Amino acid sequence: MNVTQDLSILHLITNASAVVQLVMALLAGVSFMSWYYIFRKWFAVRLARNKTEQFERDFWSGGDLANLYQSAVNDRHHAGAMERIFESGFREFTKLRGQKNLEAKDVVDGSRRAMRATYQREVDGLEDHLAFLASVGSVSPYVGLFGTVWGIMHAFRGLSNVGQATLASVAPGIAEALVATAIGLFAAIPAVLAYNRFAYDIDRLSTRFESFMEEFSNILQRQMR
Amino acid sequence: MSALHYLDTAPAPGKRASLVLAVAVHVALAIFLIVGVSWRSTPPTSVQVELWNATPGLVTAAPKPSAPPPPPPPPPEPKVAPKPAPEPPPPVKPVAKPDIAVKKEPEKKHEPKPEPKPEPKPEKKPEPKPEPKPEKKPEPKPEPKAEKKPEPPRPDFSSALNDELNQVNKKVSRQQSDNRLKNLAEAETATVARNIGRGDYAAKISAKVRGYVVLPPNVQGNPEAVFQVEQLITGEVISVKLQKSSGNPALDAAVERAIHNASPLPKPDSGQPDRVITIKYRPRET
Repeated sequence: MNVTQDLSILHLITNASAVVQLVMALLAGVSFMSWYYIFRKWFAVRLARNKTEQFERDFWSGGDLANLYQSAVNDRHHAGAMERIFESGFREFTKLRGQKNLEAKDVVDGSRRAMRATYQREVDGLEDHLAFLASVGSVSPYVGLFGTVWGIMHAFRGLSNVGQATLASVAPGIAEALVATAIGLFAAIPAVLAYNRFAYDIDRLSTRFESFMEEFSNILQRQMR
Repeated sequence: MSALHYLDTAPAPGKRASLVLAVAVHVALAIFLIVGVSWRSTPPTSVQVELWNATPGLVTAAPKPSAPPPPPPPPPEPKVAPKPAPEPPPPVKPVAKPDIAVKKEPEKKHEPKPEPKPEPKPEKKPEPKPEPKPEKKPEPKPEPKAEKKPEPPRPDFSSALNDELNQVNKKVSRQQSDNRLKNLAEAETATVARNIGRGDYAAKISAKVRGYVVLPPNVQGNPEAVFQVEQLITGEVISVKLQKSSGNPALDAAVERAIHNASPLPKPDSGQPDRVITIKYRPRET
């Protein structure tokens, strides 16, 4: 006997018009993707930071550079970004040092170029998919808004067919439409937060890489004498 | 080897874990929204109102008995009034009677004849005079149009049956007053209110709705129509859903219109009205 006239989310979604449902499905997919990348980035950034700290400890503990290089080459799959930068720089250095007609400055410059190339590749890998998060954060509220506007237009158009215009005849339509904005915001807010957080983390990491490159160049230059 | 060497890095960490976590986040959110947040998910307790008319004729007679409880009941008459208004009053009486008389006589042989015929008469005489014009304004526009459909047949019947019926009516007119009192009493008792002991509330609603019902001419038997009515706190009817058809679309439509026209429904003496109520309607008592 009792019809539950409840405005549960499920009820609202199933009753929404096709365009609004499409927008909601799109936003749900986008939200899913953004959460997927949020977690992936989270793991990746955390791993990169841990590896960097570990390598810095090893490097500044005063071990032999050749030993460090050897372990980096042997254990490449578990090497961190900074370790790979070191590896490429040191490999270039050993290659160039064997050539007699090169000056010390050229050798160091060569190894620095090699390190910079690896550095850029590493940062690029870390920043991968951040643009997606940024896009989701900035665009999905608008997509949700589009769904809402469309749904409200729909609700009001339906109102014109009703003789007695009451709030009750538009309210469900508007409630349905607003679900689209809610989903859009749900997708956007975590994406924006995550983007800012990861951009900051990666920025800090790349600063550390750059300082390491400078310091390592100095060490190599000293070894040339 | 050295060219690919740089790309030969560890696979991106946690692909599967992030996939699982992303799914988990959304599932958790969905569960939270669907189960945790309930906007009015508790169904309102509903009141059932049963409408019974002692006789078909009572449809129009009903408002008068019910008038005391709710102040609004007078409005029911307007619907009857507007129809006769265009025509001169005298023809109206025969017009209404033939309708009922023609149809009821075959069915109703076991019932006393006086019942159907007498009732329409008394109402129509008094009503057209006082109420025709003032009442029309308050009514929403859609109603008059809707109401007119069942009426057109009447003039045809009337012209043919005028004379005979007039004679019959005069005889019956005295019995009618007695009958009506009886019928009203029956109707009152038949108006059953269930649930919560809000009998008075249910009676008010049934009385008001009954007053607005204009029976279509061809109702046969005594089918029951069940409606689910959603109302605002003010008693304004939001939606009327046919829950169980009487089998006669015209009757369903007539009752649905009546419920809409009865908006705002009377309120209970104490407390808020229920959002959803069930109204059962039977054209006459069995």
